[in-house]
Amino acid sequence: MVGNKTVLFVFRMILGGLFVYAGVVKVLAPLDFAQNIRNYDLVGRSLSFIAAVVLPWLEILAGAFLIAGIWRRGAALVVSGLLVFFIALTVATIVRGLDVDCGCFGAIDRKAGFGVIIEDLAMLYLGLCILFSKKGRSSKGTVPLKKANSPGSAIS
Amino acid sequence: MSEARRVLRQALALGALSVLVAAAVNAPLIRRFVRGEFRESFFQAAEYPGIRLITLEEGEDLWRVGTAVLIDARRASLYKEGHLPRAVSLPAEETAKTLPSDVLALPREGTIVVYCEGGDCQSSLLLAKRLHGERFKDIRVMTGGWAGWQAAGLPEEKSDGRK
Repeated sequence: MVGNKTVLFVFRMILGGLFVYAGVVKVLAPLDFAQNIRNYDLVGRSLSFIAAVVLPWLEILAGAFLIAGIWRRGAALVVSGLLVFFIALTVATIVRGLDVDCGCFGAIDRKAGFGVIIEDLAMLYLGLCILFSKKGRSSKGTVPLKKANSPGSAIS
Repeated sequence: MSEARRVLRQALALGALSVLVAAAVNAPLIRRFVRGEFRESFFQAAEYPGIRLITLEEGEDLWRVGTAVLIDARRASLYKEGHLPRAVSLPAEETAKTLPSDVLALPREGTIVVYCEGGDCQSSLLLAKRLHGERFKDIRVMTGGWAGWQAAGLPEEKSDGRK
């Protein structure tokens, strides 16, 4: 996994930006997105509606948190989890031979196919790099160690 | 707290926050859903003033009057197996880029009835939205679709005109 601070920062900006964008276009047309989900024919009308209302906000918040650097590993976990789910969904759609719009970026017409899987895998790589980065680990966990090892803190 | 548990808690908190924000922002839409407004389709009629969802009975009345243009939005192979008498085939999946010239030549004020398989099919609505985009002013989507028409025992026609 990538450990370079600058590279991880760029990864967070790219992934965060893509997720915020994907969420915003869906928030603007929740019913179109609900129909997209329904077209996958996996869940009923109510669940499609609930997912269409909640999922875009999860994308926006996780993306924004990644960009802002708040809870970055938690946000990376959400984003990676969503991407694993999207990949599984797209594979299942191809296997079932369904011809549906992926609904990835709102009203942009794109079929759920191999191109979408490759994109999602690329984004998943970025997400996992952030999730398993040492830089992203909590400062809380390192504070006691720093204090214990710090001669200054022991003297004062 | 272990690092893994902390990350998981962050993720769960993000999920909870998303639910709260989504509920707050979409409260009016959720109320409409609970009232059963989107039972037939996730369709906001206000955005498409020329499109109306109609029942099978209304569709049958329009078919009997005979002045409306009937459009079958299903795949051509399904149309050949049987369709509403006088209906023309216009598979929604083939109209993504442009509508055929004979459809575009129709008067914009005339009534058009669109249908698809029935049940939860969406191709009729998709086609209706495209017709709306071409400024047709009276588009009716027959929600019962072909399945409803057959179940009601109404007349059918094969592609070669056989009844």
